[in-house]
Amino acid sequence: MEIIELPIEALKEAVWNVNQVDEAMMQRLRVSIGKYGLVQNLVVRQIANDYEVLSGNHRLRLLHELLIKKVPCVVVDVDDAHARLLAQALNHVHGDDDLGLRAELIREVMQVLPEEEVLAVLPDTMDGLKGMANLGQETMTGYLQNWEKARAARLRNLLFKLTSDQLQTVEAAVAQILPQARLQQGINPNARGTALYLICKSFVDKENKHDH
Amino acid sequence: MTGAGGVMGSTIPSQGSRAGSNPSTALHDLHLVPISRVDAKTLIVRNHYAHSLPGGTKMSFGTVLNNRLLGVMTFGVGPFYGYKLVNHATPDDVVTLTRLWLSDELPKNCESKVLGIALRSLKRDTSLKFVLAYSDPAVGHLGIIYQATNWHYTGLSSAVPLYDIGDGTLHHSRSLAQQLGSHSIRYLTLQGINAKAVPQSAKHRYIYFLDDSWQSRLAVPVLPYPKKEREINGNN
Repeated sequence: MEIIELPIEALKEAVWNVNQVDEAMMQRLRVSIGKYGLVQNLVVRQIANDYEVLSGNHRLRLLHELLIKKVPCVVVDVDDAHARLLAQALNHVHGDDDLGLRAELIREVMQVLPEEEVLAVLPDTMDGLKGMANLGQETMTGYLQNWEKARAARLRNLLFKLTSDQLQTVEAAVAQILPQARLQQGINPNARGTALYLICKSFVDKENKHDH
Repeated sequence: MTGAGGVMGSTIPSQGSRAGSNPSTALHDLHLVPISRVDAKTLIVRNHYAHSLPGGTKMSFGTVLNNRLLGVMTFGVGPFYGYKLVNHATPDDVVTLTRLWLSDELPKNCESKVLGIALRSLKRDTSLKFVLAYSDPAVGHLGIIYQATNWHYTGLSSAVPLYDIGDGTLHHSRSLAQQLGSHSIRYLTLQGINAKAVPQSAKHRYIYFLDDSWQSRLAVPVLPYPKKEREINGNN
């Protein structure tokens, strides 16, 4: 394996590269290279007087942006099929983080570095990062007690299946009683739910009165 | 491993291959932590034989050993009428163990330890009355973990069909009802949708009472645990 510094003009993106990144991910890569430099060599193969990039096509674009003149590259001697296969292997053969260990690592990092700095480099969302940092920090008892409280407070859903015609009638009835429902909501923050309750209550009261 | 609700664990045959240099120490250090549904889904999709997390997940727990997250257990709504197995129960009284995956890196016998921790927590910290779990005989699962942890076996559940509406995916009745408003074949046919019910295999159904005083409300008979065929036929 040969590692050499090549002039950037000699490096060409592989036209067959299937790996795509959006601008948000490019920005993270930009920040990472700006912060740490080019810490991974590009992998290339020679074609005539140029070099085709098998791994590092996105980094190459950023190196152009940064006006870098010489790029450290690993040069491999492979045919077309193996060039494509190696590129796929470099992109896809990797391990998966153990989430417990990652959580511990993220916590360590976030104790030292501000969230913004971490988010500028990693492809996580703020919520995702905080969730990861909190993994394993909550006790079963605390979690289940909160779950119980949330369950008790939960407003209940009733799902009705209606045809369009039936729905029109129900909506008209709900709309008619809605002003009254808004005044009588009590602890239910949902006025339409209260409206439906008032319609049903009125029906039940009438039926009971009729029975007596 | 073991699981429920179409659930089953992913690798019953690999139980014997579990590692762990000092199993008793490892089991002592094993504990459960609440994890997000997103993290649970990541691990289930990656590792569980079903490669999917059913809708209606209510709680997700991770199995931790030496700071590593080596297992996942999820509880959810399960079958719509599951609560009717117990007289005077409501849907709020029950959860269904919907997925259980434990890494082969964990020592042997940790399934019962992990399940025991979860059930004790549910018993202590919630007002839930019972838990349901299902094992799919179609993939060779009998529910050995539930037998080992003293659940009641209530026979094979009536199999709920999945629905084929010609889009290349088999839909659960609940998701179809959510998507189209109904899973009635008659209704869908009237709407010009070529819907077919695809029969599914019945599953072994187990029930575990978190509140012992509810045991007498069980509305179905408790049956002997199902065994492997060779156990029934003797040791040959």
